[in-house]
Amino acid sequence: MSDLTVVGKRVERVDVRAKVTGGAVYAADVQMAGMLYGKIVRCYDYAHARVTELDLSKAAKCKGVIKVLGPKDVTQKEYNGSVLDMMVSSDMRGILGDIDDQSIFTTHVKHYGDAIAAVIATSEEAAERAAEKIIVTYEELPVYLTAEAARQSDARQFRPEKPGNLAFQLPEMAFPDNAYAWGEVDKSFEEADIIVEDTFYVPKQKQCQMEPGAYIALYDDQERLNCWTSTQMPKLVQKKLANLFELPMTRVRINATVIGGGFGARLGMVLEPETCALAMAVPGRPVKVLSTREEDWVTSPSRHPGKYWMKMGFKKDGTPVACDAKFENYKGAYYMDASGTAFTTGAWLGGMYKFDSLRYRGESYYTNQSVCGAFRGYGNPQTNFVMEQMVDRGCAALGVDPIEWRKKWHKTIGDDGWCIGVPYNSCALDECLDRAAKAIGWTEKRAKYKNQTGTIRRGIGVSVMNHTSGAMPMLLEHTVCDALLHQDATVTLNLACSDMGQGSHTTLRQVAAETLGFPYADVHIAAGDTDAAGFDIGAHASRTLYVGGGAVKQACEDVRKQIFDRAALELGEAVGNLYMEDKVIHVKGASNKSISVQTIADQGVNNFMNPENGELIGQPGQIQGYASFFPPHNAPPFGASIAEVEVDMETGEVKVIELVNAHDVGRAIHPGIVEGQLDGGAQQGLGMALTEETYYDEKGICLNNSFTDYKMLGPSDMPKITNILVENPDPTGPFGAKGVGEAGIVPPVGATANAIFNAIGIQILEAPITPEKILEALAEKD
Amino acid sequence: MKKHAITLTVNGEERDLIVPSNRTLLDALRDDLGYTDTKYGCGTGECGACTILVDGMTTINGCLTLAATMNGKSITTAAGLARNGHLHPVQEAFIENDAIQCGFCTPGMVLKTISLLDENPRPTEAEIRHGLEGNICRCTGYTKIVEAVQDASRRITGSNVSAIGE
Repeated sequence: MSDLTVVGKRVERVDVRAKVTGGAVYAADVQMAGMLYGKIVRCYDYAHARVTELDLSKAAKCKGVIKVLGPKDVTQKEYNGSVLDMMVSSDMRGILGDIDDQSIFTTHVKHYGDAIAAVIATSEEAAERAAEKIIVTYEELPVYLTAEAARQSDARQFRPEKPGNLAFQLPEMAFPDNAYAWGEVDKSFEEADIIVEDTFYVPKQKQCQMEPGAYIALYDDQERLNCWTSTQMPKLVQKKLANLFELPMTRVRINATVIGGGFGARLGMVLEPETCALAMAVPGRPVKVLSTREEDWVTSPSRHPGKYWMKMGFKKDGTPVACDAKFENYKGAYYMDASGTAFTTGAWLGGMYKFDSLRYRGESYYTNQSVCGAFRGYGNPQTNFVMEQMVDRGCAALGVDPIEWRKKWHKTIGDDGWCIGVPYNSCALDECLDRAAKAIGWTEKRAKYKNQTGTIRRGIGVSVMNHTSGAMPMLLEHTVCDALLHQDATVTLNLACSDMGQGSHTTLRQVAAETLGFPYADVHIAAGDTDAAGFDIGAHASRTLYVGGGAVKQACEDVRKQIFDRAALELGEAVGNLYMEDKVIHVKGASNKSISVQTIADQGVNNFMNPENGELIGQPGQIQGYASFFPPHNAPPFGASIAEVEVDMETGEVKVIELVNAHDVGRAIHPGIVEGQLDGGAQQGLGMALTEETYYDEKGICLNNSFTDYKMLGPSDMPKITNILVENPDPTGPFGAKGVGEAGIVPPVGATANAIFNAIGIQILEAPITPEKILEALAEKD
Repeated sequence: MKKHAITLTVNGEERDLIVPSNRTLLDALRDDLGYTDTKYGCGTGECGACTILVDGMTTINGCLTLAATMNGKSITTAAGLARNGHLHPVQEAFIENDAIQCGFCTPGMVLKTISLLDENPRPTEAEIRHGLEGNICRCTGYTKIVEAVQDASRRITGSNVSAIGE
């Protein structure tokens, strides 16, 4: 593969010049003539209440107010803000039981920050002032913040069709015994010599993407609904809005703006429905809705928190005989991704180790918390925190080295992957583990940190993960790509894949240039206009390079084939006798016979006919490549992290000293981008393990929906990071690439927890592992 | 609300405007003058997305500053860093070190870096990390940003740092 000229190179990213000068246009930066501003009135007094009275009259009289809208002034249709229900087939949707349960404005407040009404005014300030004049009277209702509380028999029901407030459990029809399972778990445990079991808590982590939600909508003179949004999923949001407002898709246009970070927070609709409802109330005027940080926090989805029970059994020789697990998540007020996360959390568990038998149950319970949905990893970080600590507890009981055990028992090529029945087709996890261990000095440090005394103790821990590149076959991965050859032999690709900052437009352009045999500079990616682009499922599940790249490659191969077919006709040679060099097509062994791509492209559009005699010159018509691409697999990425920590036994503080990440990435199309994904993932993974949690008081009032009160690791908190890219090309990925967008967040979670276990000899069962929890655990031990 | 007539020099261009007492510099720059390169990330001075340079090398948070208090001040935003069609060396360093992902923190991060290097042209890694504590990035884990600042420190001589914001 050394003949690659663009793939594998650290080319300049497509968007960085605009971003470094501030010229990149994010949704909040869009200005339009006649712009109006919307302010949504939210309930910040209660997490569960009924609106008994709503008085909009005073607000309507305020200066600058154009319109005030309550629940009855907008469509009464309900919707589901997540797009997950559109990523599966209709049959599967029915089996999963996904429902629409969100309203644009509500009279039944189900979480802190639920939307009640809105003001449209001539300035943002006027809208805010008027919003303060809306008088809402509430009847307080009992608050249920956990699954345990929500499933009490006397608890109020969130939805009649979901009795017991059980939004979702794995459906019997697809998952007998409501479990994702193989083998006979109860029987297998009888063969176990060592059994470990515990109940963990995984936290409600927030994406904290730097750009808060910003939306503009315009119902224009052609009665088309236009929405400017930094969504990760333009085509599915287009369809969702079309459904909600009962418009044909031709009358809904998403203009995808530059995305200031996503990490799942924009995987679906957030305030697009509200903004569009406002715009439809004032036809012809654009309406802008800007979320404050605090508002974005409680309206965009978070990671699913909850209780996670797990039990593992091993034989004396280390054989993993059985794993039984149950994740009960505190879903939040609305259904959203209730089915998806409850399933995948177990899928990642099932995809990791060769247990003789395994049974996972996933349940989502409605609670009066703000909504949960997609967050980088989609259940995998939760599983990593629990599974990897249980494995290390098992290894401690067995007296075996955690790396050696993992190397022996992780699943590999030929074993069922995260989807039972779909075997792994590539796996370089052993190399990841070996290289990570060597880089950090695992063996020496594990020996050195035994039997420590004193206040400051060091520890070192490992964790591994499997993930996915797109979600085939569970979700219907699909990208459409057009590749247009211009008269000057440059190419514009038109597709709906979004770039959240992860660099996908850069890597897609690299794939295009490499496939075409053109310079990187000769390719442009046009993306984000749903009028122009064909279907794309959206940026989720680490799939944009793998699936979008597959579509780009196929469309560019189509262009290349058409170029060669025309060259063959022009040169009177078989295609097989031709080769391209510097965009000129030559005949093998005949140095005088050639035609440039430029000539072919120009003839097709500008000079295809002799006007004097009407004879054709060359081959008429513009060359355009097309692909409607479905990936054949899900090219599983694997990864290992080893973390070294220092624990202060007196204060309980944990400092991560070093982190080594070794990932099986298939092929690094752009090594700098891959490293960036692993670095950024690590900041979020370490944060989940150590500091990040959304707190509520007993009334369900969110206590830390701001950067002031929610602790992310800052530049001085971050450890030295070493990233090792193991390149073992996947047989199905474009140039062997696997998805890497989510992988980086996963193994630092378990590695940090295991390093703390190694340092202090105790496992902390609740994430984040705060100093308070460590001190409490140390006190209990004494 | 009382209104104030003020003059700001933004990226070398003098601009007159009338602002109510409660208008933040961030809103004045973004909404009144169109400098949308200055970003709203939190509105409470936590994230640094609205970092700007004032009268040379001092950084402030636009979201915590009232525009009316800035009369006569000279302000530099990310849009004003290029000279004669060339990006500032700090901007080049951010590009070449892959220190930019979503880009939302980038204008503020670049301006903070310029201020930091003006104060301390050869910072240690710890000094860089400490210096960037007021600017949140959620994409990069700071690794490549720190590398970019180190690289910028090598590229910059004292004179071309302080040429900015004159």
